[in-house]
Amino acid sequence: MDERLEQAKKIVEEMEKESSLSKVEEMVKDNKITFEYKEKSYRVRLLNLKEKEELDQLRRKKFGQLIQDKDILLEADLIKVLKTRNIDIEEINSDIKKLDAEDLDIQLKLGDAIHKDDGETIFKRYEEQIKEIRLKKAILSTRKTLLLEFSLENQLLNYVSQIITYLSLDIQNEDKTWQRMFKTLEDFQIYEDEDLINRAGQYSMLLQYS
Amino acid sequence: MNIYSLLRELAKLTKSQNLFIATKEISSIRLFRNTFNFSQLQEIYLNYLYIYDIIMKDIITDKISKHVIDNEIYTDAYMLWRKENKYKEDTKLSKKRDLHLVVGREIKFPKRG
Repeated sequence: MDERLEQAKKIVEEMEKESSLSKVEEMVKDNKITFEYKEKSYRVRLLNLKEKEELDQLRRKKFGQLIQDKDILLEADLIKVLKTRNIDIEEINSDIKKLDAEDLDIQLKLGDAIHKDDGETIFKRYEEQIKEIRLKKAILSTRKTLLLEFSLENQLLNYVSQIITYLSLDIQNEDKTWQRMFKTLEDFQIYEDEDLINRAGQYSMLLQYS
Repeated sequence: MNIYSLLRELAKLTKSQNLFIATKEISSIRLFRNTFNFSQLQEIYLNYLYIYDIIMKDIITDKISKHVIDNEIYTDAYMLWRKENKYKEDTKLSKKRDLHLVVGREIKFPKRG
């Protein structure tokens, strides 16, 4: 019975993998991603030149607002404040750099072992070391991200992602033509269905260059 | 499985690799619907197609074990090592070649007249 269950689980996993692969294949075929949501078709696409200019204009405007707000600190100032509370971001950066160098060193050793065909035991040993280093790095990076989350730079980045979603989301009309989902930024900001915005945001970040 | 692992899986498929090779040889065959303005996702996928093309060639020519392709860490480590080593080999080769261009005791130009 256990064996049959195991087989069934494997089949389900394979099916899920194939379905995910088909979805990714569809996403990669074009520089636009089309998706269905609540029986309507939406797509996100790359920004055109006019939209890029609009993005730039909105970003500059937001920067002007943020820089005047005394409660919002620039990253460099936030780092200084954190240091007075014995939280050293420079030290975290230096630890991340050291881990990067270790990762690179072990990767080169593993590459050499693969080239010499040193065997699976040695490959596995290096693989475990790499995984351990990456886990340590992920913990440090997450800590750093959380500590700097409210810096001016990060708030601006979050705002830019929202604007990209606002500018790049289209909805399909009944005659199969496409039109911008939101006519104005205000329409976007007061839109209630967060699930749609989040999904569109994730897809649009996959398309655009960071 | 995250999207990047799925992109790797897609790039490894025989049909994807065949298409990738065909696009290099036949200009009318295209990988994507768009021919310019590639998305970040498409650029990453192209990079994986290139990586797995090299890995498969090295497996076929018995340079590496076929298990390398099933493990992302092995694949990346091998590609990194390969790049590093190729750079060293290329530098060595170019230094050797450059030596021939230096006029010294070993190189005697014919006398004129």
